[in-house]
Amino acid sequence: MARKKTPAGARNMKTFYGILALVAVVGVAAIVLAVRRGDGAMATEPIDLRQLGDATALLERAEGVTVGEEAAPVQILVFSDYMCPACAMWAGQIEPMLKAEFVATGKVRLTYYDFPLGGNFKHSFVAARAARCAGDQDRFWEYHDRLMSGQQQWAYSQSTPAAYFIDLARTVGAEPRSFESCLRSDTHAEAVTANRVLGETLGVGGTPTIFLNGRQVRQWNDYAALRSAIQAAGGV
Amino acid sequence: MSVQAAVAPAAERSEAGMTNRMLIALFALAGTLVSAYLTLYAFGLVGEIACGSGGCQVVQNSPWARFMGVPVALIGLAGYGMLFVTALMGLQAAFAGSRAVSAILVAGAVGGAAFSAYLTYLEAYVIHAWCRWCVVSAVIVGGIVLAAIPEFRNLRRVSSE
Repeated sequence: MARKKTPAGARNMKTFYGILALVAVVGVAAIVLAVRRGDGAMATEPIDLRQLGDATALLERAEGVTVGEEAAPVQILVFSDYMCPACAMWAGQIEPMLKAEFVATGKVRLTYYDFPLGGNFKHSFVAARAARCAGDQDRFWEYHDRLMSGQQQWAYSQSTPAAYFIDLARTVGAEPRSFESCLRSDTHAEAVTANRVLGETLGVGGTPTIFLNGRQVRQWNDYAALRSAIQAAGGV
Repeated sequence: MSVQAAVAPAAERSEAGMTNRMLIALFALAGTLVSAYLTLYAFGLVGEIACGSGGCQVVQNSPWARFMGVPVALIGLAGYGMLFVTALMGLQAAFAGSRAVSAILVAGAVGGAAFSAYLTYLEAYVIHAWCRWCVVSAVIVGGIVLAAIPEFRNLRRVSSE
């Protein structure tokens, strides 16, 4: 008796379902792997201070990034968070004027300290580490400026925007492989945590917090007021 | 005309239809997997999107990654899922000449192509960033459209009968 023929032919169907099953298994396995991999060894949060025997020793690891002459009469410290919109405003509007008028002329030395707020700003810490990884290749300020100006493009990412950070490193001329290996590790995790601890020690409660020769500048967003303060402090 | 001669062309059309539905099912399965991955990312369940560049994150975190509050990836998942199930159904003998199956496949292919073209336009001219997964999805949709051409013919044939 002749077998009833299926529309596409039994053999074809068998092969087809085999290929379908193979694609499904490989695809699902790849997705499961991607989900499990998560952020891997990448340090995305500050070091847990409770695990440290002597948390104050961490302060010694605080490390600002400076621009300007060491002997400048005015020292400005900036505590900032890459996800904070006000910090982006400082970096995009005030800082360029400050650098052009006072840093470039040797009157002001600017030191940047990370103050990752955490909480809703869940990528603050890793962004701070990313900027420092770029700094390892002498691209800190270019990277810092791009992170701030492009804040909207990465800050609200559901997951760690590592690919964006790596792409940005390439854009500012950093060698992407070294940058990536730095990013996907815990490099600079101590320094960034220490910077935050330093800020807390100095009474930093929000970002950006600006200190001018040791005194906090409240009206940092008023450049005329900032200029007067700098001039009064000796940066004439 | 003999009965055999009258049945043969219909059988050939059916065989061709079956092959194209296999292709649609395969493409739709690939699309389902891609959009499932992007949906998991949209809900924060994937640590980091595998992309090779930062373009995926720019696109996936742009305001256009959601359509009326729903992640675009989830819409894609629903669309590809529907095409996959329909194509598999269409491979069963009972639905071989089904006009409804052809109509759903054609509507899915055309709708998917239009939506994909819109998203590609956004990437090129509005967001100015490319997400490789979206490009892969656009290619898959293109494949589905090509594979759905016999379904257009089937629709026309069924309506003229």
